[in-house]
Amino acid sequence: MNFASTQFVPSRRMGICEPLPQIGMWSDYKENNYLDTSTPAILEVDSRFDNQQLRRLAQNREAARKCRLRKKAYVQQLENSKLRLMQLEQELERARQQGLYVGGGLDTGQLGYSRTTNPGIATFEMAYGHWVEEQNKKTADLRNALCSDITDLELSSFVDDGMNHYFDLFLMKETAAKADVFYLMSGMWETSAEHFLSWIGGFRPSELLKVLEPHLGPLTEKQSLELSNLKQSCQQAEDALSQGLERLHQILSETVADGLLGEGNYLPQINAALEKLKAMVRFVGQADHLRKETLLQISRNLNNRQAAQGLLALGEYFQRLRVLSSFWTSRPRESS
Amino acid sequence: MQQALPYINLPFTTTSNGGATTTAVEVPKLVAENAVVIFARSGCCMCHVVKLLLHGHGVNPTIFDIDEQNEASVTGELSKIIGIGEAKAAGRPQFPAVFVGGKLFGGLEEVMAAHISGELVPMLRKARALWL
Repeated sequence: MNFASTQFVPSRRMGICEPLPQIGMWSDYKENNYLDTSTPAILEVDSRFDNQQLRRLAQNREAARKCRLRKKAYVQQLENSKLRLMQLEQELERARQQGLYVGGGLDTGQLGYSRTTNPGIATFEMAYGHWVEEQNKKTADLRNALCSDITDLELSSFVDDGMNHYFDLFLMKETAAKADVFYLMSGMWETSAEHFLSWIGGFRPSELLKVLEPHLGPLTEKQSLELSNLKQSCQQAEDALSQGLERLHQILSETVADGLLGEGNYLPQINAALEKLKAMVRFVGQADHLRKETLLQISRNLNNRQAAQGLLALGEYFQRLRVLSSFWTSRPRESS
Repeated sequence: MQQALPYINLPFTTTSNGGATTTAVEVPKLVAENAVVIFARSGCCMCHVVKLLLHGHGVNPTIFDIDEQNEASVTGELSKIIGIGEAKAAGRPQFPAVFVGGKLFGGLEEVMAAHISGELVPMLRKARALWL
């Protein structure tokens, strides 16, 4: 049979087959009522009925088959797109966690507003992204250095470099705090696991000491004592800052609530509260200062190798937390 | 506004107050006679933190409340104590300002750093703020 005159023209809209000259809709093929609509016109001539009918049946079959194939291809394409979309979302989330991507997806909401409209924060996010990359590099270099046969002097420069990198972060945070202290406090810049474990906008110094201690290698009695004292001092300082912060909560709440159900103009209260909120910047600054002093004090009590091991342990610990966050974000969700 | 409670330093009976009348004049006396004095603005939470840190060491500091009325005069008195050169360098004294043994020790940062490094206790002892 010659099918030249009945070329099938694939429609732009997938799933609708338009075989020429017959024009059929997708639903027609599914319901197979094509035959019914065309039979009346053909009944008159018997011999031609057979040929025409057979030809049309064959064409119908062919059209239906090709439609099914196209539908299959379409669905396949949809499935692939879905997978690709999931993959891209994961990558975006990872990049967002590392602060490399400014402006988020569906869940940034009002936070997205502050991020994209606050240049100080946008700057911080980019800088922090680089900081993390640098940190990973330094951690890897430190690992290699400790495995290799380097001099104590070289090791000490690694230690200084590592410490200074943390101090750089504190400086960055100081600037960011002035731009938007609540951004820092909210942990938007950290990965979720890091933020979960954080205290006043960063790691808790006493927790850090607990993480480090087993990985410093053998300690002298003096060193153990110093470390124990340091842990206690850290705890006391943290408690003092935490209580100070609670006090600020209290004062802020009282300031805002002053004169409720009053005359109407509460602008004085708002202005007073604004002044109180500025104390937040100082709190984050003091917390970072405590982190810095703690790191300095640890390094004073350790020799270069111990300090290097400590820094390596620290670097690895934070790396693991970041990976944990990434895995958590991209874990398969149950379909609802 | 919260009223600051007067704190009584153990060996001495001087109390702190935020009144506008006699305060500024008392400043040098306060600094000289008390082992640890904290000058802070009323309701300052940082002052609360310093106080807690010092309490942890068994020290009960004298706290001087600064408000709008006395700020200028107190700042003037403190600058005199600190020494004109230092005051100029720092601009004005930052609050909270902690005096130990009659001399300016610093702010919360300095107290924190000394606390962590272990230098705070010997210093307090030297100023007779501690008895152990």
